[in-house]
Amino acid sequence: MRQEHDEFVKRGAEVIAIGPESARAFAEWWQEHRMPFTGLADPDHSVSKLYGQQVKIFKLGRMPAQLIVDRNGMIRYKHYGDSMSDIPENGDILAIIDELNGE
Amino acid sequence: MSGMIQVDPQPAPDFELADTGGRMVKLSDYKGNKIVVLVFNRGFA
Repeated sequence: MRQEHDEFVKRGAEVIAIGPESARAFAEWWQEHRMPFTGLADPDHSVSKLYGQQVKIFKLGRMPAQLIVDRNGMIRYKHYGDSMSDIPENGDILAIIDELNGE
Repeated sequence: MSGMIQVDPQPAPDFELADTGGRMVKLSDYKGNKIVVLVFNRGFA
C-alpha cells in the first residue's frame, strides 16, 4: 500500500493503519520504514475491540482487516482476511474509492 | 466492482488515538472531508 500512497492522496482518501503494538514500538517501526500514511498504535486494542464488537470484522481472531469509510462516516466496504496474506488488492480499494467519489 | 460496495452501510464507530508523531487523530474529524481507508494489522513491529 505504501508505493501507491499517492494514488490515495490524489483521490482525497486518507489511509489510516491501526496496529496492536505499544505506541513506542509502533512509532519506531513506522519511522524506520518511512511509512507515508497515518499510523495509530492501539496497544490496549480498544479500537479493534470496538470494531470487532460493533462491525464484526474480527471473526477469526486478529486477522488483517480493511474498511472504507465514506465522507458521511458510513462504512461502505469491509474485508476481513482469512489468513495473514488475505488482503485485498490496492486496485480494488482504489476502484471503490473512485466509485464513492463518483456518487 | 460495484458489487464490492456494502449494500447496508453502517456508521463507523468513532475513536481517537495518537499517531506516530503524538498527534491525536479522531475518525470523525475526516467526516465531510475525506474518504478514510482503515487498515487493521495483526502487528508488524
